[in-house]
Amino acid sequence: MDWSIQVSGAADIRSDLAALNATSFDCGSKLAPVVELTCRLIDEYFGPVHLSRCVYGNEFCEHLIPSPAHLKDVLSVAAEREMDVTLLTPYVSDAGIDLLKPLFELLSLNGANEVVFNDWGVLNLLRREFPLLTPVQGRLMNKSLRDPRVTGVYAESDAPAPALVSLRRSNLDCASYTGFLSNLGVDSVELDNLPQGVDLSFAENGVKANAYIPFGFISTSRICMAAGIHYDKIDKFQPGAPCHHECQTHLLEYAYTNTPFSNRDQKFYLKGNSYFYVHTEAMLRGLFEQSRSGLIDRIVFQPRLPMNWERQ
Amino acid sequence: MKVLAPINAYDEMEMLAESGAEEFYCGIVPREWLDRYTGAVWLNRRSPKGGSLETLSELKQLVDGAHQLKIPVFLTLNAPYYTAEQMTWVMELARRLDGEAGVDALIVTDINLLMQLSQAKLNAELHVSSVAATLNTEAIRFLLQFGPSRIILPRSLTIPEIGRIVAATRDEVEIEVFMLNDGCAFEEGFCSTTHHHSVGAFCTNLSDMDTEFERSGDRELTRRQNSRLRRNLTDYREWIWYVNGNGCGSTANGLPYGPCGLCAIHDFERIGVASLKIVGREASPFKKLASVRMVRAIVDQVRSGAEKLVTIERAKSLRGEREHCESGYMCYYKVEA
Repeated sequence: MDWSIQVSGAADIRSDLAALNATSFDCGSKLAPVVELTCRLIDEYFGPVHLSRCVYGNEFCEHLIPSPAHLKDVLSVAAEREMDVTLLTPYVSDAGIDLLKPLFELLSLNGANEVVFNDWGVLNLLRREFPLLTPVQGRLMNKSLRDPRVTGVYAESDAPAPALVSLRRSNLDCASYTGFLSNLGVDSVELDNLPQGVDLSFAENGVKANAYIPFGFISTSRICMAAGIHYDKIDKFQPGAPCHHECQTHLLEYAYTNTPFSNRDQKFYLKGNSYFYVHTEAMLRGLFEQSRSGLIDRIVFQPRLPMNWERQ
Repeated sequence: MKVLAPINAYDEMEMLAESGAEEFYCGIVPREWLDRYTGAVWLNRRSPKGGSLETLSELKQLVDGAHQLKIPVFLTLNAPYYTAEQMTWVMELARRLDGEAGVDALIVTDINLLMQLSQAKLNAELHVSSVAATLNTEAIRFLLQFGPSRIILPRSLTIPEIGRIVAATRDEVEIEVFMLNDGCAFEEGFCSTTHHHSVGAFCTNLSDMDTEFERSGDRELTRRQNSRLRRNLTDYREWIWYVNGNGCGSTANGLPYGPCGLCAIHDFERIGVASLKIVGREASPFKKLASVRMVRAIVDQVRSGAEKLVTIERAKSLRGEREHCESGYMCYYKVEA
């Protein structure tokens, strides 16, 4: 199994990543406990891990697509550190497609790099114009329910087996779909570690599974709360509206005070246009146990919520 | 440009058709599905309780009746995904919907189902659901390999973005857009939450939760910064209230509040959009009726050649309470007048 780390820029790669020292990540006091827990459990299960790859870019917002100059820096420093690079891409409008092309050109010049797609349009572009790049299906293309308000409850309750089986799977369960992906040159898929558990049996058919820890995405939108800060009230909350990257300045924590279940005060996090849940110790241990069965090809460690962006 | 109306009973058909509906869409959830998967796993994007028909015979009656009125009926099979076990069952259902009920199109999200339906060569056409999050022209080019006759664009595209897409794909596929009723705070195709009645929609649920801001970089928020963020959060929660149909409200005359694209109809006609979707299969017959009448009133005005500003003025006057229109939060689309 490979280990990968999500980086915010070249400076991250220059720092002492390999130590996986939780205190060195500036994830903020609210998220520090889960990052520390994750580092401790990684050490417990796997000992010192070798980070062979860095993941760069953004899956959730086309306004957070990095500049070619920043990508060039990342490629350069990663090469010095003998790390491979995966570029994350978000769902995009036509304008977003235009922003991605120069990045793909740069990656193509640099050799065979991975690109994670979260939009069929991005895959179409990759296949038509950038055949040297290796497409990887992103976690937003995996449509498993991830609603942390209820899915943990489903897993603990007496939900009928067919319903629970269905909630732990996705269309990756279908050989027709994994065959389709394979024909498109997509051999790896990315996943969130689900509160209700993930059924990885599809990996037995040769599909490689990459799992993200310790944050999973709940929902995302082209309408960004944070971007509204600098607009007049009447003009706020427009799809795809230009922003000043206000999302970089703060985090919003929600406490699930109005639950009908026993998960009162469960925390959800909004960063920019996307909501995230954090993994519990049980979820992390469950995933690490699964990795021992050989069904996980790569774990991607996120030391921060995956929304960081470097100013030009 | 057609007016597409939701329907979930034969009894609604005549009044909706007489009021101006030119296409229908509906869902079906056979009892067998509910027995096996319970309410936790939905066959389509509406709760099995109240949003869909239950039997094929009900559906056939509806389709036959609509065809007599020369109105096509489209059926949703638009869950975000189906597992292998479900796929076998759904494909069998699709064949019966096509052969026995005679629906005109199947509305599909899961690309695996789209692929299999494409290979099955049914009579029914294929429409790609908005839940597939088709946000750009490249994505449509990708989907065209499965032969869809229509792509339903998500609510979150702007008029210029829709215009660019329609211009690029005009001769290859029809484009449908949202026109009235339910909103979605998130990108529907990338929202992994449930609207199950036990918890409700995540977006509205969030408005009642306790919140705390944290400044990036291990620094404390100043009182001024916190106040500014709080004010923005309050505005956002007000916007969510509009997204949720102004708290599921209506005017004194029973006209529905909630996300609305009436002012954009003139632009959509110019752009070449094929169909205007009214949301709400689960809504009351009266809400459906009122919705169809509102959309048709503006469509008729546009068809008669009215100026854009005239149609916008008419659209804003329909409900008789302009303050909601003036808020800017009830619109699907920002229209340049």
